[in-house]
Amino acid sequence: MLAPISWLKDYVDINVTPEELAAKLVAIGFEVEGIEYQAKKASLVKTCKILSVEKHPAADRLRVTQVDVGGKTIQVVTNVPVEGGEYTAVALDGAVLADGHAIKRGELRGVLSEGMFCGPEEIGLSAADIDGQKEDDILRFPEGTPLGEDAAVALGFDDVVLDVSVTANRPDCNSIYKLAKEVAVALGTECREPEIRYEATGADVGDAVGVEVRNRELCPRYMAACVRNVKIFPSPEKMRKRLRAVGIRPINNIVDITNYVLTEIGQPMHAFDLRYLAGGRIVVRNAEEGERIVTLDGKENKMTSSMLAICDAEKPVAVAGIMGGEYSGIQADTSTIIFESAKFARDSVRRTSRALNLRSDSSARYEKGIDFASQEYGLKRALTLIYETGSGEIGKGLIDVKVDYAEVRDIAFTTAKIARILGCAVPEKKLVDILSRLGIPVSKKEDGTLVAHVPDARSDIDGVNDIAEEFIRVYGYSHVKPTLFRHSGLTRGGVPADIAFRNKVKEELAAEGLSECITYSFTSPTFADKLRIPADSDLRKWVELVNPLGEALSVMRTVLTHSMLEVLAYNAAHFNKSAALFEIAKTYHPHSLPLTELPEEREKLVIGMYGADTDFFTLKGVIEGLFDALHVKAAFGVSGLPFLHPGRGADISADGTHVGFAGEIHPDVAEEYGADVRMYAAELDLAALYGVCKGGCGFKAFSKYPPVERDLAVVVADGVHAGDMIAAAESAGAEHLTGSDVFDVYRGAQVGEGMKSVAMSFTFSSVERTLTDDEIAAEMQKILSALESAFGAKIRA
Amino acid sequence: MKAQIDSIKQAALAAAEAAQTVQELGEVRVRYLGKSGEMTALMKGLGALSKEERPEMGKVLNAARAEIEAALDAKTAVAREREKNARLAAEAVDVTLPGRKPVRGTLHPITRVREDIVKVFLGMGFEVAEGPEIESDLYNFQLLNVPKDHPARDMQDTFYVNDSFVLRTHTSPMQARMMTTRKPPIRVVIPGRVYRSDDDASHSPIFHQIEGLAVDRHITLGDLEGCLTAFAQQMFSKDTQIRLRPSYFPFTEPSVEVDVTCAICGGKGCRVCKGTGWVEILGAGVVNPAVLDMCGIDSSEYSGFAFGLGLERIAMIKYGIPNIKMFYENDVRFLGQFNGEVEK
Repeated sequence: MLAPISWLKDYVDINVTPEELAAKLVAIGFEVEGIEYQAKKASLVKTCKILSVEKHPAADRLRVTQVDVGGKTIQVVTNVPVEGGEYTAVALDGAVLADGHAIKRGELRGVLSEGMFCGPEEIGLSAADIDGQKEDDILRFPEGTPLGEDAAVALGFDDVVLDVSVTANRPDCNSIYKLAKEVAVALGTECREPEIRYEATGADVGDAVGVEVRNRELCPRYMAACVRNVKIFPSPEKMRKRLRAVGIRPINNIVDITNYVLTEIGQPMHAFDLRYLAGGRIVVRNAEEGERIVTLDGKENKMTSSMLAICDAEKPVAVAGIMGGEYSGIQADTSTIIFESAKFARDSVRRTSRALNLRSDSSARYEKGIDFASQEYGLKRALTLIYETGSGEIGKGLIDVKVDYAEVRDIAFTTAKIARILGCAVPEKKLVDILSRLGIPVSKKEDGTLVAHVPDARSDIDGVNDIAEEFIRVYGYSHVKPTLFRHSGLTRGGVPADIAFRNKVKEELAAEGLSECITYSFTSPTFADKLRIPADSDLRKWVELVNPLGEALSVMRTVLTHSMLEVLAYNAAHFNKSAALFEIAKTYHPHSLPLTELPEEREKLVIGMYGADTDFFTLKGVIEGLFDALHVKAAFGVSGLPFLHPGRGADISADGTHVGFAGEIHPDVAEEYGADVRMYAAELDLAALYGVCKGGCGFKAFSKYPPVERDLAVVVADGVHAGDMIAAAESAGAEHLTGSDVFDVYRGAQVGEGMKSVAMSFTFSSVERTLTDDEIAAEMQKILSALESAFGAKIRA
Repeated sequence: MKAQIDSIKQAALAAAEAAQTVQELGEVRVRYLGKSGEMTALMKGLGALSKEERPEMGKVLNAARAEIEAALDAKTAVAREREKNARLAAEAVDVTLPGRKPVRGTLHPITRVREDIVKVFLGMGFEVAEGPEIESDLYNFQLLNVPKDHPARDMQDTFYVNDSFVLRTHTSPMQARMMTTRKPPIRVVIPGRVYRSDDDASHSPIFHQIEGLAVDRHITLGDLEGCLTAFAQQMFSKDTQIRLRPSYFPFTEPSVEVDVTCAICGGKGCRVCKGTGWVEILGAGVVNPAVLDMCGIDSSEYSGFAFGLGLERIAMIKYGIPNIKMFYENDVRFLGQFNGEVEK
């Protein structure tokens, strides 16, 4: 809400600076988002008179002028075709223009120039803001204008405009008058009422128009007045200036009056040209299904039966509360107008406006909600302005069709209850005083209970908590002192196990040198194609947004790997030689589509890395390190996932449960992401991991006797997996085997085509004694036999 | 024989004198005192002497041997010391060369801030809970006193899945979920991702909040202020002050915006706080009795407070991060900066 201070001053005396006023408004709940000094958008732009003009000695298109800036003459070089004698504006040396551009004296093609002539844009205005101002021209002032004045001030732009943020619970304050009332409360002064004063001399409004409201629910009040012999002319300068200050373009006296009342009283008005109201009738009714209306903006709208229309005897002439029809506007030859001042249901205007994609200042105001008193007040204020400006002859009487409504709502309360909400002392006298200043009279019952009589306009106040807020926002929050659960007992608090598990995973991965990243949960539906996910995969069943920020952010992801690859590619493209990252986030899996119940949200861990020292085993090592920390033993098997390198991808399981995959990204997929590095990624299901996690650590005795190591190299077929060999060795029945590892794999002529040699080392120990050579030999034999029978392994010669 | 002993002794002593290194000295020792050394050979020759001569010569021989040994020991000790010192000198490194650091991983600044905040509230008896990110309209709006077509819906630009489901616009729906499933006393903080269709220089369509909720028999606005003061002082500095300003949220009444004294200038006024000395960090209020009642908690018996704050905003203030977009670019040069800190 833009509020020019000069306008507020019509109703309340303000003798503090704009900054102090803003601070006081903030303290009672009205955030001031900006203070605009109209005259300070530019500095050092002054009125001046061009005394003489000469040609520039070196440039045909430049002129050298002598300029009187009020008691001082300066030289200005310009390309504006001036002739001398003009009154205009000049930016002096040191001036800063509205766009931030600084003006310095200097030479233009060898001739000193001490300033620059200015148009409206240079002082933060546009040609439309100034009467008679041409586009792309310098400012023009009438002869005799005092010289050396601020140009904006000379044009009358010297107001200070507050940009007040009005919260959704205070729709009433979207008006200068109601805001002035709050200013009065903030400043501790009185507020004056807008003047209502006009003489109705014409025939009764009822002779001109009849009003019928068929849907009282969507239109609880409809008022109308009639003005005949209308004269159309530009509004008075003061009105135009104020409208411009709040961002409304002046049009003519009648349109301006409706906008003025909307701004000042907060009541949207509409002026119908009586010629276009067939049958002299206004019927407020639901539109017929499919009924059409072309609105003032030239758009054809197809209405539905849930929308409210203002109709004449034949057809809709306006979409109620939103916009008039194409012929409803004021024209040069309009002679009789019917003013509409109505209350339309907030939700109905909102729904209709969204459904038709039709918006106006009026609909914006109705959507916020409007009280019952404003219709009469607004209408009479409009007639007052008609009268003041001599815009026409006001017909007698007002049409007023309304439902019964409660003008006042009573709320009973005690100071003790208020004190209990706020936790501070509440002096009764202070409370009563503050409420009455807010326009809420308070009476006291015999039992000491207080009763607040809340006017209809304060629709936001419907309980004791609201009374508490009204009191404390004026009394001051500094009266509330911090306490720590003074009246409550202890509670236990704590972190649920699944959240603690996630935190542990994060810490372990960071300890392994990975950095956590966070990516968007929604992405482009093309991710599934990029990852070559099969057409029938459940990963292609996703939740889609109806109003995304764009297709690229339109579906809720079903995998995290896609986002991770984007992050890796981003880093590779931004001078980072390596990266090792992880993210824990949710993927979203609908049970059915369209969504009828909450989808399943699965927490996943994704790991991604690239860099000169990174390969598949770097990634695998990180995962193994994590699993060690979680006391999970995992098995890696060959993966057939389509986005992985066909020979460097693994499915990961633990305790027979599939928990995820790890691998090098297929080069074709990497190319899709624009990455020119080898990327490695793993994605694990966190809940599955938690499920197989055995929990804590426990002490296990270790041997004080020296362990014995034995190496064994065997030849097996190339396709045999080392991991399977180790597993076979470990389950061969060697009871003292405490460690096994593969330390070399060799392929070459010595072992023969299609074969490889796998060198393993085994560690044996006993907690009870030193093992004998015979015992160890026997156990090694068991291992070898197991390898022989499972893989046809032969000891390497 | 005596002359022979003397001659070998002299030769041995001369050799010891000439030897410079521990190794040379060792060689001298072997040559004269070793198993097949010259002195040892003489020792073996004693057997050939007469019974009378043998003790006499034995004594002389032992004395000579001891003399050689002593000379060698003394010389060796010196040589050993000298050689050790030479080795140490040779081993000197340029201690200003860089060390071999293990690679450090880091937690995202949002996670850090989240955990810092959670810790403060755990200390005050709060539990941690999380909720669904795709939410029903019922929990995201209606139970929080925002009916359909209510103007308060304009306060938050909502991503819709359909008429009944949205991406949660705040962590507040978990308030309703807690209150509909629990009996007071309730004290809970709810961190999580939230979504609003707002994407410009200062907004991200995805960001993070922490919601706080306390419901019990007699909870006041003063308790809210106390809790948030403890939070602010833990997060920023011990002398941080907070200030409540009236505001509006449909689910709290009274509602407040909470400002803290600017962490950058300490309240004197600077660019971060736009000269005011205060920085807005969160919205809060007394739980609206209508919300309690809708969630099945008797508002005549119980009261509560709630607050919600944006983690990005806190992280930006705390770490001086200039742009919200950086949180989601995930450039490793950004992420690598947040490797822990020491509380002071």
